[in-house]
Amino acid sequence: MKKLYSNKLVILSLVLPGIFVFIFAILAPISLSFYYGFTSYSGMGKAEFISLDNYIELFSDKNFHISLRNSLFLALGFIFIQHPLAIIVAVILDKLQGKAEGILRCIYFIPNVISVAVIAYLWKFIYNPDFGLLNNVLKTFGYQGQINWFSSDNAIWSVLVVLIWHGFGWGMLIYYTGIKNIDPVLYEAAAIDGANTTVTFFRITLPLMKSVIQVNVTMAIISALKQMETVYLLTNGGPGNSTQFAANYLYQQAFKAFRYGYGNAIGVVFIIICLAVTILLNKMFQEKKIA
Amino acid sequence: MKKKLIAMLMLVVMIGALLAGCGKEKGKETGSVSQGESTKKEEKTPPKDENITIKVFSNLPDRKNGQGLVEQMIIDEYMELNKNVTIEVEALDEEAYKTKFKAYAMNGMPDVVSIWGQPSFIDEVLDAGVLAELNETDYNDYKFISGSLEGFKKDGKLYGLPRNSDVMAFYYNQKIFEDNGWKVPATYEELLLLGKSIKEAGMVPVAMDGGDGWPLAILLTDLLLKVNGDCSSIVTPAVAQGNFTSGEMKKTTELLVEAAKSGLFQTGYDSQDYGTAMNLFTNGQAAMFYMGSWETSMARNQDIPEEIRNNIRAFTMPVVEGGKGKATDIAAWNGGGYAVSAHSEVKGEAIKFLNFMYQPDKLSKYGWENGVGMSAQDQTEFLSGNETELQMQFMEFLKNATSVSGTPINDCGPSIFKTVIESEIQSVSNGTKSVDEFLTNIGLACK
Repeated sequence: MKKLYSNKLVILSLVLPGIFVFIFAILAPISLSFYYGFTSYSGMGKAEFISLDNYIELFSDKNFHISLRNSLFLALGFIFIQHPLAIIVAVILDKLQGKAEGILRCIYFIPNVISVAVIAYLWKFIYNPDFGLLNNVLKTFGYQGQINWFSSDNAIWSVLVVLIWHGFGWGMLIYYTGIKNIDPVLYEAAAIDGANTTVTFFRITLPLMKSVIQVNVTMAIISALKQMETVYLLTNGGPGNSTQFAANYLYQQAFKAFRYGYGNAIGVVFIIICLAVTILLNKMFQEKKIA
Repeated sequence: MKKKLIAMLMLVVMIGALLAGCGKEKGKETGSVSQGESTKKEEKTPPKDENITIKVFSNLPDRKNGQGLVEQMIIDEYMELNKNVTIEVEALDEEAYKTKFKAYAMNGMPDVVSIWGQPSFIDEVLDAGVLAELNETDYNDYKFISGSLEGFKKDGKLYGLPRNSDVMAFYYNQKIFEDNGWKVPATYEELLLLGKSIKEAGMVPVAMDGGDGWPLAILLTDLLLKVNGDCSSIVTPAVAQGNFTSGEMKKTTELLVEAAKSGLFQTGYDSQDYGTAMNLFTNGQAAMFYMGSWETSMARNQDIPEEIRNNIRAFTMPVVEGGKGKATDIAAWNGGGYAVSAHSEVKGEAIKFLNFMYQPDKLSKYGWENGVGMSAQDQTEFLSGNETELQMQFMEFLKNATSVSGTPINDCGPSIFKTVIESEIQSVSNGTKSVDEFLTNIGLACK
């Protein structure tokens, strides 16, 4: 069997499917995106080569800048709101033990298993100023006004809440698994030394979770950058462009405005940003490891 | 040797599996959507008895109500009359439809497709040469309303046929109006005052689908008609020059902003979709609903409470004081329709089916009988006396019209203009952007 695996033909036969998938499902589309990014292709008919015009336009496109700013805002929301909360809840769940632990773990994960379309419509109804749950709850507390949760000023926060709520269970589950993998002997030793919960959290849990945090934060930033479905169904970037996100803007330009070439240029910039962020995060976490 | 044999065998199995994944099942290909390779084939006229499958790609996903029902009725009838023909329908909502239409246009279209005879949609489609040319003389007896085919032509050649005559209006609940002593406004100022009274009574004055942008753009068109007396003399040069800063456009936009500011629409109108706005009206929470004649079927919709559906009436945009437009100048146009794919393998049969649909006693008649708005063909001979009051009102609007707006402003330019104006109009109406910024930005989109 060992000799079989050292045969080059066998190795080739095992590796080839992966290479095929990589070439045709990843490399070829990205290469095509690069190509179309240099054209004024509308998605139909012939593609005309226009050199760097699309990229030059991107630099002065205010709506693209807004969409990038919003994506960054979402990423920060994930890092500074969603993930700290997810870690805290994961730690509490770990401490709970017993039946409650399992039940609560399932409850927190429920939003992740609901379809994005259902979530978007659910929140649309919750936020509706006329018959929405939120305004009705406020009314029962005596508030007489009518809050427009999707006004130009509020909309980005309302979207942020939905996205944090939706992705919370996934982040929490990864942290929870990370905590479960920490050797309990360390906590016992800390307890013998008289360390309280806060100290063990900051001196044991957090440092040993660094690799999990790195993976989770990287995934959160990437998912913030490529956020599309929920926003598309919830606000479609509106009102105006107040909740416009990079991936949604790409979609609008490529498929609504018949600017396939421009949409591909956005896609290329998008890939570069994602790669840069990933490299930067890896470097940041590496440096901290050395320190 | 044995080892090499196993290795070779594994390689063959792997390559076989990959090829199988990429291959097509011949039997399933018959009548399927024509893909890239099939688009190169010559049009075939199948022998009479041969089984033919026509693929219809429609923007009417509801096949049990409204226009989707009418379309399905005709399809069923055609298949009944032509036993060798099978018609397969793929139907999607408008936005999803337009996205998939583009994907189809790249790789081969279904045989019969829904299209829109407006520059924002049809210009790119015709430039790509994906639609079949139709013989205009074939339709001499089809009673198309004068001028209704123009949007579907390029260089004098016809590429599609219009389905509807669309009229924009304010639907209102007559009973609520009477109970509260409210009257149909005669001027725009009265409309705004009426809005305030309705709001004070705790109701939403006008349910507006502002989340989509296009109803607001049609409202702008409606107002421009009342301000200037016609739209094309302002919009056509503005689109060509990328300059919308004329006094008329500015005044019109200010009127729209004033309406939003005065609370004529529901709170959060700029983020609420079609369904939400319509529900506000059909549930009795809103006194009015600004929408097109395609919603006249509300008067027959059994899902709407009887007390409401029996009291739905409509009025067109009232005159603007000091404006050139008359009360009978209305926002109306011919929008959606059908076309045949230029590369259809069954083009002959597809055109035959298209012509069948447009026989005056089909789309037009069934549409009228089911109260789903007005067709682009003369429907007067189908009056049966069973029409709803709402239907008759819309027919009167058209009959008495002294002029019509033509294509709404958002559909007058390239598709990027449509995308920009439908987003910017939300910003200007909610006060996030100034009128001048709005006019500049939509002008830039044309350039």
